[in-house]
Amino acid sequence: MASEYAIETSDLAKVYRSRWKRREVRAVDGISLNVPRGTTFGLLGPNGAGKTTFVKMLLSAVRPTRGNALIFGRNAREPEARRPIGYLPENHRFPTYFTGAGMLDFYAALSGMESAERRKRIPEMLELVGLEQWGSVRIGKYSKGMLQRLGLAQALIHSPSMLILDEPTDGVDPVGRMQIREVLTRCEERGVTIFINSHLLAEVELFCREVAILDKGKVALSGKMHDLTAGKGYRLTVGETPEALVEAVRAKATSMASRNGFVDFQFASRQLANEAVDLLRAQRCEIESLAPTTSTLEEVFVRTVAK
Amino acid sequence: MTATVALIRDTFREAFARKIFWGLFGLSTVMILFFLFLLRIDLMEGGVAFVSAFGRINGTRDVDKLVRGVYGGIAAFLYTWGMFLAVFASAGLIPSVLEPGRIELLLSKPVSRTHILLGRYVGNVLVVSCNIIYLVLGVWTILGIKTGIWSPLFLISIATTIFAFAVLLSVVILIGVLFESAALATMVAAALMVMSLILAQTSVMLRLLSSEWSRQIWRTLYYSLPKIYDLGGMTLNAIQSRSFDGFMPIWTSALFAAVVLGCSLLIFARRDF
Repeated sequence: MASEYAIETSDLAKVYRSRWKRREVRAVDGISLNVPRGTTFGLLGPNGAGKTTFVKMLLSAVRPTRGNALIFGRNAREPEARRPIGYLPENHRFPTYFTGAGMLDFYAALSGMESAERRKRIPEMLELVGLEQWGSVRIGKYSKGMLQRLGLAQALIHSPSMLILDEPTDGVDPVGRMQIREVLTRCEERGVTIFINSHLLAEVELFCREVAILDKGKVALSGKMHDLTAGKGYRLTVGETPEALVEAVRAKATSMASRNGFVDFQFASRQLANEAVDLLRAQRCEIESLAPTTSTLEEVFVRTVAK
Repeated sequence: MTATVALIRDTFREAFARKIFWGLFGLSTVMILFFLFLLRIDLMEGGVAFVSAFGRINGTRDVDKLVRGVYGGIAAFLYTWGMFLAVFASAGLIPSVLEPGRIELLLSKPVSRTHILLGRYVGNVLVVSCNIIYLVLGVWTILGIKTGIWSPLFLISIATTIFAFAVLLSVVILIGVLFESAALATMVAAALMVMSLILAQTSVMLRLLSSEWSRQIWRTLYYSLPKIYDLGGMTLNAIQSRSFDGFMPIWTSALFAAVVLGCSLLIFARRDF
């Protein structure tokens, strides 16, 4: 049953129908996606793209209209398929009658952990997310950032093989965000698959190796981060250059900018960049640097969604 | 097993936090204290004297009758106000689990939906059971110490009250799963209690109704709906050592609860959250 993928979906779809079936909304429209084991995967998309519905179908909180989803090779509908998953929902509402430790104990027990194991893990988890002083305090007193960190501890307590995190750093201050990133990096090093659903593109770009962009319920773009953000062009930086030569190189470039006595040229292709280098070197101009440039994930996202 | 215990403990924890457990516990305590107060003012002796003054045979038999009467009164209280309060207090425990942001996390755990709902159901029954046992045992002990009459038949009301509550709770669960409304669940359960009182007058009504189809509708309603009133009557008869007409109210009510609970589980299993 061992699968090389943590998540496999084929033609997964969810159609919501109004009460009298007059109107239907295709929240997810035939998504086929494979998430390899051990990777960090970012799921992106504008509001209403179907990200949350897709995640809920993976967790069997929403029944697919068609298609199927496998978690580590098991049908996502089976409760056992959810055993290796640690999940942090976006708008979580942990019952406020719990203390931090009590809440971890409850969800760990639901994950099948025995009492002795839970007693050992709870202080470790509280320490991991920086809440060791707060274990016996009712969570009604926690700030949003603290609840988010506690939620992460809840997701991690049973040492899952995959984390599904919905906006994991939502409401967390910069220091807290860094702590969460550190925790996730350690998980990644241990081979845990991390699936992040987030609006924070910079964060996803920083952390995820693979991404998929959903739009109108379909996968609009997917692939490895460096492939998606690579290939935008080349940047050539030169020092003092005669005006006429600058104009000649400028004619081949897509853009030009001056800063602190240097001039940056941006070229659309390697060939144009090489032609510019030939021109400059023929006049014995000093070249400071030449490097391929990449798109930001935000640029890729906007290009994809705006199509 | 670990998950089952966790779900039941969670129901208790929520019942404590919402003051449901303590509310019921407080009311039970007030009732027990009331009996302790009666003990102090020697009402039992007064009652015995009253019975004697009206010329009936004195002695243990009359005291026994009086005690059984008191037990019957408590059982009747449990079946009306006690039951209503228990349903009212429990009605919120199902919609709270279905709140967005809470249910998704529960469903993400390796526990089936049937398990989650049954865990809540059992937890809820146990919360109320603790209070019923406390109240009945408390009153039974006080009266037993005072009168020296230990009627174990009164303890039957523990089982029958818990059973009747479990039947009504199945309706609360169904309404909770369908509409997530504690108020509506209480209303429907209370309506069933009232209907059971009306439908229990079957023998009279079947004589009064003129057409066969209306008699058939009455019979269908009587046999298909839970018989809270009849169960109360059975308990009262049992406490007072009177005979009763078979166990039909028990098994038809149990069947009703099983069907309603089955529907709740089916709806819960198919719902999107």
